Amino acid sequence: MASYILFETASGYALFERVQSEEIGAKLEEVQHSVLDLAKFGKMIKLKSFGPFHNAAHALENANDVSEGIVNDHLKAFLEMNLPKPSKKNKVVLGIGEKNLAGAIKAECGYDCDSDMMTLELIRGIRLHADKLLSQLKEGDLERAQLGLGHSYSRAKVKFNVNRSDNMII
Amino acid sequence: NAGGARGGAKVIVEPHRHEGVFVARGKEDLLVTKNLVPGEAVYGEKRVSVEGPDGTKVEYRVWNPFRSKLAAGILGGVDHIHIAPGKKVLYLGGASGTTVSHVADIVGPEGIVYAVEFSHRSGRDLINMAKKRTNVIPIIEDARHPQKYRMLVGMVDVVFADVAQPDQARIIAMNAHYFLKNQGHIVISIKANCIDSTVDAATVFAREVKKLQEEHIKPREQLTLEPYERDHALVVGTYIRAK
Repeated sequence: MASYILFETASGYALFERVQSEEIGAKLEEVQHSVLDLAKFGKMIKLKSFGPFHNAAHALENANDVSEGIVNDHLKAFLEMNLPKPSKKNKVVLGIGEKNLAGAIKAECGYDCDSDMMTLELIRGIRLHADKLLSQLKEGDLERAQLGLGHSYSRAKVKFNVNRSDNMII
Repeated sequence: NAGGARGGAKVIVEPHRHEGVFVARGKEDLLVTKNLVPGEAVYGEKRVSVEGPDGTKVEYRVWNPFRSKLAAGILGGVDHIHIAPGKKVLYLGGASGTTVSHVADIVGPEGIVYAVEFSHRSGRDLINMAKKRTNVIPIIEDARHPQKYRMLVGMVDVVFADVAQPDQARIIAMNAHYFLKNQGHIVISIKANCIDSTVDAATVFAREVKKLQEEHIKPREQLTLEPYERDHALVVGTYIRAK
């Protein structure tokens, strides 16, 4: 089971640590219920670190790489700075929302990665409470970042259309 | 002529049963939404301006049920659209953004519409519309791969889908698993011959509803979109992730 969770946002990368507790066990159903309640969920998961993007261009570059399942240097540095070194004693399992990126991180950084149902459920919980969990951000910050990134990501898609069949000839 | 529907002062606008939707009563009754960007039409639709009791003008845009399945569903008498002021909506199959613009009017400045469209040609219009409507986040990407746009989307109250693809039930389910709140809602337009043109429409609708049930989506309502569209149905359901 994942001991850390990577949550990619339009503002930056967030790393959460899973806090082991006896109250909330390892059953998926129990987790599904506890993610709904911030008081409970806040005890299961703690923000370890948040690494904001430098600017809009940096956010777009990272969004494109995450979308394609690529670990770039920035993500690699963020993970290596904030995760303990994997060893036999201290097993680190990093929960990732998508399998290709999980595979790439395993290959590039050596961390064991997981994209199972439990990880996806925890990410649902983080997405639901993101405003409260990401304490550096003020209310509405995330949406503003999504709006800016949504426009730049989409404009770039329309501009750099590889198969061109859909491009109008002017 | 920004006045739009003739009659000017004689037009009265009343709230519709669905919060955020209005009816303009004049020579004929028209479905309208309150224009988020007064003074401008999005796709050449007519506008109606009415004077409130305090003398201020409020502008509404006419919403044509022959051009929007959601409008057709509302006029067809759907009980709940779940899209209302302040709601967050994930809109799959945004096309050029005509219906998206009305959904943006309904959710208002406190709401958000994440509008996903794969076609670049329609996507350009969608992006342009979203420049003025800052509660619309345009996403030019394939709705079959929600993981590709996971950095752009927050948790939503409603998933609306008008994707007209044979695997649309799966597309909707995948997006719900990523982004839809527990007990959130889905509203889907189903075009029968886009799914399977070899059997009758009713059979296609029943099969699609069954597929949704297998994905934790409990169907609540189903209506056909006659007389506005042929062999189309609107299905409304609740996403039950955890009981």
